[in-house]
Amino acid sequence: MRVLIVDDSSVMRKIVTRGLRQAGFKIDEILEAGDGQKALEVLAGGAKVDLILSDWNMPNMDGLTLVKEVRKKDTDTPIVMVTTEGGEGKVNEAMTSGANGHIKKPFTPDTLQATLGKYF
Amino acid sequence: MSETTDKLINALRGAVNEVMGTMAWCEAIAAGEKVVNSLILDDEVGGMIHVGGDVSAMVGISCNKRIAAELCSRIVGLPAEELNDEDLLDGVAELANMICGAMKSKAAVGHLDLSSPAAIVGQQFQAQWKTLHKTHILAFELEGERFCVHLSA
Repeated sequence: MRVLIVDDSSVMRKIVTRGLRQAGFKIDEILEAGDGQKALEVLAGGAKVDLILSDWNMPNMDGLTLVKEVRKKDTDTPIVMVTTEGGEGKVNEAMTSGANGHIKKPFTPDTLQATLGKYF
Repeated sequence: MSETTDKLINALRGAVNEVMGTMAWCEAIAAGEKVVNSLILDDEVGGMIHVGGDVSAMVGISCNKRIAAELCSRIVGLPAEELNDEDLLDGVAELANMICGAMKSKAAVGHLDLSSPAAIVGQQFQAQWKTLHKTHILAFELEGERFCVHLSA
């Protein structure tokens, strides 16, 4: 599968990538973006992805805005928030806006498998 | 110590163990605690996050460069010698972020807003803030090296 990981921390993008592999997902390609705006540019460039994993707090464009922008054109691609923002209100806001799930940092490969396994 | 601070400190202890166990695949051994009136960070690496909302506090991590590289290596899955200063900055900031996020989840002390993490890597620097009251310093050992997590509230 092709995954777009959106996080302003390059280390966190590596951590998520490692977690996906450890969880047993077959990864064909990882695309990365440092904020929501760059993620939209990646998608606008024609990249086809099977999953978007996005942080919440990022400069330029946050994860919630990214979800809303993606959903204007794409209602199918699963979007899962990976963030320290674990409050119920925040999670509900993301889900209402079109996110499909939420993974709270810190996470284990089992957590990734449990949350993402339903899509793959 | 106020009840809220007590809850935050307890949550912070659990948060460090959770982050080390799930993200760094290691066990950090508690190595003492103390309370100081003024915190001066003078280790080689420091990461800090401001906590706002119902509580005003500063949470951070400090350690030497070797243990920072070891921790970052563990959470990223790359050899420590392959990490550059930017990776260390990013990694320590993320560690602070995850520890603070886990503390927030465990503490249950109302609504907390976390700032973006700030990190410092280098030598011969001091960081000090005076707008907050006492600082609780929790020391941990990992592979014979010591790192500290601190909360000023």
